[in-house]
Amino acid sequence: MIALRTLPAFIKKDFLIEASYRTSFIMQAVGIFFSILIWYFVSRVVNAPPTTPGLEGVDYFSYVLLGLALLHYLSSALVSFGGKVRSEQMTGTLEAMLVTPTSIGTIVLGSALWDFLLTSIKVLAYLVIGRLFFGVVLHVENLLPALLVIALTVLAFSGIGILSAAFVLYLKRGDPITYLVASGSALVGGVFYPPEDMPWLGGWSRFLPTTYALRALRRSLLRGSRFSEIVPDVQALLLFVAVLLPFGIVAFRFAVRKARQEGSLVHY
Amino acid sequence: MAAAIRAESLSKVYVKRRSLREVIPHPFRKAERITALADLNLEVQAGEFFGLLGPNGAGKTTLLKILAGLVLPTSGRALVQGVDVARDDQTVKRAIGFMTSDERSFYWRLSGRENLEFFGRLYGLGAAETRRVSATLLGVVEMEPHADRPFMGYSTGMKQRLAIARALLHDPPVLCLDEPTRSLDPIAAKHLRRFVLERLNRERGKTVVLATHNLQEAEELCGRLVVLDRGRILRQGSVAEITAGLPGRDEYVLAVRGLNTPPNGPRWRLSIEHRDGDLARILAEVDRDGSAFSDLLAAILAARATIVSCSRREPSLQEVFDRMSPDEERAAR
Repeated sequence: MIALRTLPAFIKKDFLIEASYRTSFIMQAVGIFFSILIWYFVSRVVNAPPTTPGLEGVDYFSYVLLGLALLHYLSSALVSFGGKVRSEQMTGTLEAMLVTPTSIGTIVLGSALWDFLLTSIKVLAYLVIGRLFFGVVLHVENLLPALLVIALTVLAFSGIGILSAAFVLYLKRGDPITYLVASGSALVGGVFYPPEDMPWLGGWSRFLPTTYALRALRRSLLRGSRFSEIVPDVQALLLFVAVLLPFGIVAFRFAVRKARQEGSLVHY
Repeated sequence: MAAAIRAESLSKVYVKRRSLREVIPHPFRKAERITALADLNLEVQAGEFFGLLGPNGAGKTTLLKILAGLVLPTSGRALVQGVDVARDDQTVKRAIGFMTSDERSFYWRLSGRENLEFFGRLYGLGAAETRRVSATLLGVVEMEPHADRPFMGYSTGMKQRLAIARALLHDPPVLCLDEPTRSLDPIAAKHLRRFVLERLNRERGKTVVLATHNLQEAEELCGRLVVLDRGRILRQGSVAEITAGLPGRDEYVLAVRGLNTPPNGPRWRLSIEHRDGDLARILAEVDRDGSAFSDLLAAILAARATIVSCSRREPSLQEVFDRMSPDEERAAR
């Protein structure tokens, strides 16, 4: 019960802190617009239709726009949990939270919520700007399957993100796995170009949730594919969630116990 | 009725983690072990003002952190209101208010009120209840006029008062204060001490456990205390009990009229601290052999002087530390 009650309090607190920096929101909005503008001009130069089966006829700008949008979620899921633990440790507020009856799991989840909310706003901005100013055609009737794919992707990567928080709690440093997954997803996960175009690296893409998430997302929103056509990708994402999320949670519990034994819960 | 706090054979040994720079040249060397608490037994009754006194590294903060659920004991048990901290820390956290002296434990860009309201939710209070309780507590700690200013603009005293308000948000029966006056000026420290003693301990009946290395503070506030050193209890009891039986002489302050030459003897030593006409204030250091003090008084009266007043001077806790026997210090090591 405490968990549900406290989550909005985390969002309110982080919003108030964010709002106390006057130009923060403006700079982020400008950053999003510039990012889209850059990729728009890149796509005019590249102008190569993706070779991924099922995405025939999709223009490169639309392709990369969705890649960028999902990359934001991926980054949030990977970095927010560990990053927030680290920042609360360094600012000294983690100890004050840990002496309350709110569980550490809720504290870590609550601390990352604002990042996810902000990311959702950014992704929405990407899609709205893409549609209004750059003529990207989105099949909004497929919004629900798209949201399901995003949710599964976030959960899968949250497993790795929570694992990263465990590393931060116990080893006081972010883990190398997060870095590998983030870079690997950007490199071979189909964010900027189809993995099928990478003859000797592309095979690795099947081990990344990003590949399935992006394929399903693009098919739904850019090609208007039916849900039945993306079921194999959704199943793959479910498998990633089933493996990665419990693994992250178990590792996190282990790290909390070890850190309490060592008395290093709030050390950094 | 269960004691407010109970430690049973409580031990905590920290194993110092070795860095890569230490492991590479000596891969098989054992990690250093630091004993923070060693077989500690103590009991704090409900409503008591209890002190943990000792120098840095004595184990005071470790004990408080175990009680607050931040650290797990290596062996033994710590119970708060009968609940084992290691088994059910969530229940214990509802019963305990932990105040750290770390100024950084608040969000500096939020106001005092916003900070309290956030932490109130973490203590499980509803939104409306949090607002009401925060407003009340801001009044209690006399922070109402500054409640809506950003925390970063507060003085150290204001930050400490807000930390106390935060520890009271869930109205816990037990308060653990870790060196609350450490960075306060003497006036602010005195104000805070009076507030904790009168408003929280006496009026509200809170059990207070105070960790301090300030001897005067412990003397002023604590009905009972333990003197800790290297994780062991050197002595425990009231200040009088702690100071009883210490080696050295008893000290008395005498106001004596008409004493020209102090009657010095082998079992006492007199020194005049102040003289005003024929009235002298004398510090008497007297052997504890039972009759030495009465023999001294007899000697003064035999010199045809008048004793105007006489009071015993209790040793300060600094003197207690200085006088602790080598055996006790060895035991602590």
